[in-house]
Amino acid sequence: MSDIKANSKLDTSGKCCPMPIVETNVAMKKISSGEILQITATDPGTLTDIPSWCERSGHTLMNSMESDGVIQFYVKKG
Amino acid sequence: MKSLAIVVRQDGYDNLLTPLAFGYLQGAEGTQVDLLFVNWAVKALTEEGAKGQVIQGEHADQDAWVRKQVEKAGLPSDIYGLIQALKSTGNVNFYACSLAATIFGVNEDNLIPEASGIVGASWFLNEKAAIAEHCQYF
Repeated sequence: MSDIKANSKLDTSGKCCPMPIVETNVAMKKISSGEILQITATDPGTLTDIPSWCERSGHTLMNSMESDGVIQFYVKKG
Repeated sequence: MKSLAIVVRQDGYDNLLTPLAFGYLQGAEGTQVDLLFVNWAVKALTEEGAKGQVIQGEHADQDAWVRKQVEKAGLPSDIYGLIQALKSTGNVNFYACSLAATIFGVNEDNLIPEASGIVGASWFLNEKAAIAEHCQYF
């Protein structure tokens, strides 16, 4: 568990590429700069896709963790 | 990536999935995506053609299974729905190649409204593909 407090949550469990990135982009547009989005994913592709997306998009990946195939990302909007 | 040009020449449900998924990914991210449909693939830019796309050849008997998997992945399971999803990003343009349109029976009357028009290949290659940051052929 992370002690980071998310302002918004997105669950993409069960979905595969391209949907986690598509839905993450949509969710990020709904929050303000400095707010944190918690993304839950089960697509292993997100382990590489989300960090590189953060870097390209100017957002900060604050934390990520994986447990039993479920990955949690905490992304601060830039 | 600022811009992506994709030339789609192979039709068939499974063959169209990858270029559309790549276009969806990049369009959602804000990349300007331009897709030119050539050869048989141009028929996917008609409503009847898009909805009629099936898996052909040796994997034809797995069509229903693949559609279920696509739906499970969170995507629309038919090609027309996928085209509409890409269009909804606001960053994706679909073009029909004029030569392919003539040969395969696509015109302004049956072109789907999500398509930006029937264009010359020269225009697409010079105005879109040549200046795009990245270009792909499927």
